[in-house]
Amino acid sequence: MADEKNPAADNPYTQTHLVQSGDTLSKIAEKYYGDASLYTKIFQATRDVLSDPNKIRPGQKLRIP
Amino acid sequence: MKKSSLWVLAALAAVLVAGCQNQRAPAEQAVASAESTLTGIRDAAMHYAPEQLQAVDAQLSGVKDSLSKGDYKAVLAAMPALNTAINNLRDTTTAKQQEVSAANDKAKDAWGPMSADVPKMVDAIQSRVDILSKSHHLPKGVTKDTLAAAKSGVDSMKTAWGAASKAATAGDYSTAVSQGQAIRDQASQVMQSLGMTSS
Repeated sequence: MADEKNPAADNPYTQTHLVQSGDTLSKIAEKYYGDASLYTKIFQATRDVLSDPNKIRPGQKLRIP
Repeated sequence: MKKSSLWVLAALAAVLVAGCQNQRAPAEQAVASAESTLTGIRDAAMHYAPEQLQAVDAQLSGVKDSLSKGDYKAVLAAMPALNTAINNLRDTTTAKQQEVSAANDKAKDAWGPMSADVPKMVDAIQSRVDILSKSHHLPKGVTKDTLAAAKSGVDSMKTAWGAASKAATAGDYSTAVSQGQAIRDQASQVMQSLGMTSS
């Protein structure tokens, strides 16, 4: 259906995660995908918010594709 | 029998025959007119009021039977009821046509947002299914069966969405919206099964 480079960006049905203190992308990937190594999927979908996958701050809203 | 009586009988018979012949043209004309009116609404009536059409056809058949037997008096006596039945059939057909048209207009309004919305739900599910398919361990609450069901669900939703879009393209928005709503409901269930509804 949608074929943009980052279809998650303008899809209101893409799940989101509000970053809490102590969160890392790996932990978030573990929670939603069961596999920490898939953190890159979240990083790719949230490139407009994150410039570095190792630097996330509480309060940031991340897309979970 | 007296000669004068024979003359009286002959005169009466002539009056009767003349009377019948006087009724023949109006009877034929009335039946032709009724048939013509019915032909004009037949297609729509067949679609919107088939049972009522069947009843009118039966009435018309009876009148035509009387006409073929030369019973013009019976034909003319039956015409008011037949014409009323045809008028009622036309009114019913028109009312149902308007009802369906109004429902379709309403569905057309609903189709606009739905046609943008539902594909995004399916896209979001497809994305999650693709990622979970690469995962070495599924997240809490998601089993292999859940994922397999979601995969086949995406396929069936895409197929169903194709049918709904086709109905919309053909102008049948009522069907399109009905099918679209079923896909939306299915998508919501699949999203819930994959844990996509909470953050």
